Amino acid sequence: MKTRHIYILTIISIFTIFSCTKEKSEGPSINELYGDFDGTASLLVSNKNPNFSNNEVTKFSCEFGKIVDWKISITGLVSNAKKIITGNSNILDSNINFWDGSASEFPFFIEENCALELTFLYQPDTLRDTVLITGTQLYDDGYIVADFENGFPVDGYIKPQINPDQTFVIADDQPLLGDYYFQMGGKINFDWALGKIDLKLDYSSSPISASAEDFYLNLGILSDTVGLHTGQFMNILISESDSAFNSGGAADVATIFDNNEEVYKLKIYIDWDGWKLISIRYSDFVATNSSPGVTFAKNPKDIKGMRIACQACPSSGASAQCEENFDRMVRTDFDHIIFTENRAFFDVITGFVGDTWNKN
Amino acid sequence: MKINSILFTVIFIGIQIFTVAQQDEKIRFSGLTRSFFSRDVNKIDLDTTSTKNFSSGYNLIDLNTHINPIKEIEVFAQLRISNQFGSFFGSGTNIIVRQLTAKGVLGNRIKFTIGDMYLKQNKFTLHNYDEELPFFNSDFVSSYRDIVHYENFFMDNRWRLQGIQTNFSYEFDRFIKSLEFDFFITRPRGNQYITNLNRISDMLLSGGSLISKINSNLTFESNYINLFEIPSTGNINISVRNPVIQGGLNYHYNTPKAKLEHNIQGGFSERSWLQFDSLTNYTVGMFSEFSSSYSKKDSSLSFSFGGRYVDPNFRSSGSQTRRINFNDNTPSIYSTYSNDESQRPISIFDIISDPTIYNQDLSTNLMGFNPIYSNSLPFGDATPNRLGVFAKLNLISKNKFLELNFNSSYFEEVIGQGSLLKRNFVLFSGNTKFNLHEILGLNKKLSVSVSMVDETTKRSSSNAENVNLSSSQLNFSSSIETLDDLFIQLGYKSFNSKGNEYLTTRSAYGMIQGFTPINYNQNDNMYIAGLKYKFRPNVYLNLQYNLWGTNFNDSNISDFKYQRLLFIFSVKL
Repeated sequence: MKTRHIYILTIISIFTIFSCTKEKSEGPSINELYGDFDGTASLLVSNKNPNFSNNEVTKFSCEFGKIVDWKISITGLVSNAKKIITGNSNILDSNINFWDGSASEFPFFIEENCALELTFLYQPDTLRDTVLITGTQLYDDGYIVADFENGFPVDGYIKPQINPDQTFVIADDQPLLGDYYFQMGGKINFDWALGKIDLKLDYSSSPISASAEDFYLNLGILSDTVGLHTGQFMNILISESDSAFNSGGAADVATIFDNNEEVYKLKIYIDWDGWKLISIRYSDFVATNSSPGVTFAKNPKDIKGMRIACQACPSSGASAQCEENFDRMVRTDFDHIIFTENRAFFDVITGFVGDTWNKN
Repeated sequence: MKINSILFTVIFIGIQIFTVAQQDEKIRFSGLTRSFFSRDVNKIDLDTTSTKNFSSGYNLIDLNTHINPIKEIEVFAQLRISNQFGSFFGSGTNIIVRQLTAKGVLGNRIKFTIGDMYLKQNKFTLHNYDEELPFFNSDFVSSYRDIVHYENFFMDNRWRLQGIQTNFSYEFDRFIKSLEFDFFITRPRGNQYITNLNRISDMLLSGGSLISKINSNLTFESNYINLFEIPSTGNINISVRNPVIQGGLNYHYNTPKAKLEHNIQGGFSERSWLQFDSLTNYTVGMFSEFSSSYSKKDSSLSFSFGGRYVDPNFRSSGSQTRRINFNDNTPSIYSTYSNDESQRPISIFDIISDPTIYNQDLSTNLMGFNPIYSNSLPFGDATPNRLGVFAKLNLISKNKFLELNFNSSYFEEVIGQGSLLKRNFVLFSGNTKFNLHEILGLNKKLSVSVSMVDETTKRSSSNAENVNLSSSQLNFSSSIETLDDLFIQLGYKSFNSKGNEYLTTRSAYGMIQGFTPINYNQNDNMYIAGLKYKFRPNVYLNLQYNLWGTNFNDSNISDFKYQRLLFIFSVKL
């Protein structure tokens, strides 16, 4: 073989190799990570007069030049309601970053002017604008489990522990939305369980298509911190059992939450003062211990019931663990329980205890 | 008691073997003995927490026994007896079997090796590249070099592995002249517990080579290697696969005075992880290289040049595993320093002298490196994401007064990292040795060496993507023979680096996850003065004084400075 043949092969191979790599770069963009912050960026706000009752949204867009921690704060100038939207990115994408009129905490927005601020971690710049709410968010675009506006659901059960100090009633003095809410609390020193309510649900004929990851439970929980029990919590159980709601147990307790049923649970410790707005992913609920043979296949469309149980650490008797709470009242009131698909009304809370025991 | 028993047994067996050896000459011995003593002194004024000075050392003997029970079989065993400085007989004494190998020839045709072996293939399939910076051209650090390489089994750019190897060849009368085959399978790592319950799998390395002389001028070569794990030997259900194949042609032509060579080669790699039944993080990469060289048969002149492309996704565990992993690696001498007890980074002195920072295990991912010491080709010729050219020149004057080596290369990234812009790398290195005794007519040797390495990395941009890093190394050494075989050694090393770069963070599957910006303004220095008495080239006694340290020129990072008194007595048989 002649030397020139080798060079011909070399040239062929060199030309061949240039077509091998398709990517233009590897790794995240250095400019986005370490570039200069664009202090001249302007915040674009679409729909400055939103009517949230018509499911309108206000969208935000902006480019920062680098990836930063940003925060949008919206404050109602009359109600003093607040909405906080945070993120870490180099742009505000209007398809992702929008406001649906919801609040991050109680109270809710009313028809009012709102001040809007965009701030950045480690950057002194603040971008400001205003929005006029022409219609408020109604928080009804979903599957309402219970809002107590028409009394307690007729096919549900209220089951307080037998004790004269229990409060398991509908009240109208501090509603979250509408005129009524449910008071759940009281005092039992010697036991964990103060009581529970069971609500019958059936979404089998609904158009729900979201997975458990995109299916949210939204509710408000009311408590206070004055002389209150420090070991109080709420258990929320969701059953996907195909059995009858109450197939022959006690007359006022649903059996679809029994140990041999497909039940998912979450435990919420309550240690705040006033209303707290909570959204929880259904996927964060954990399967309870069960008898062998139960198949756990979480599917929002198969939800058949919800139990909300009020519990507190016992302060006397054989089970006493919290003597310091002797004779203290428990308060785990709630209102406006609603499932939503692909959106949460409130800030999504994670990290609740998902222990699988104690279904009462 | 146990050690005494082992010692007695070893000595007894040794005497028996020696006796037998004397009788029928089926046994022969070789080995190495070394005495090492160092006294290190902390010269940092603002470091009151570290010890001011300490001394350490050891004596060791590696006894190599070569047993030939029959003519075609040789069994090799290396037994090490070492004793730490300051310990008494039996206490602090270790006895280990360091190497065991059996090799032989089947039917006078097929060679085989079982046990410990040193393997090397092509530079893109299986090759143990030299550590960063060509320090070891300097004679005054050769004592350190011998220890670092010997203790880490670095021999001729081979990886020391354990397994079985065989090779055989055929010669032909027509079409082609010969065919040579070489196959091996080794186990670089056994299964290991990584947590109390989780166990990673056995890692195996197999491969083969084929070399065919097509005619007297043309040779074809192909190499294949595959690093893989056997999922059933672990319980984490994740196992790597990394096959690499290479093929090349070599055309060589001899004139009465010189040899001319042209090479062309290319190859492909795959890498993936099998998770349960599905492949993840699958990548395919390739490389190609051409080179030409001219060398005079009297070795007075040789030069070569070529070009190389290595794909960003080319992954070859056998050739991209580094000798030094700069991630999670600390030097053994004063590993922490200053009153903040900061972790001391690896410096040029550690690279020269510390055997413990070196790696002997093949890695399935690209290992960490320090860009100031090697940024152009941190993984040798197999460095991925490089396209460029290189040239080398070696010159020895007729009177042997001058020895000159010169290397240069220009490489550019194939694709950018964290940017659409590509970095380029320019490397120049040169070493000149003046054998003054040749022109002065002296009976005793007198030589002076000067070498330099200059490496520049650039990515020009007006924003955060800009990279501009320069590193330069200057070495000066002289060796003066005063009495017969007694040399005075004087040396100086200076390493300077200034500029900025981005360190890459990679996932467990080798994907770049992020970058960390870093600025350098560093100066490493090392002064050496010593005496070396050479009984023979491999038998010497060396007494040295080293003063070394690093200035970071940064008020947030403490500088360090140390000195060492070193004594080495080495006998290699």
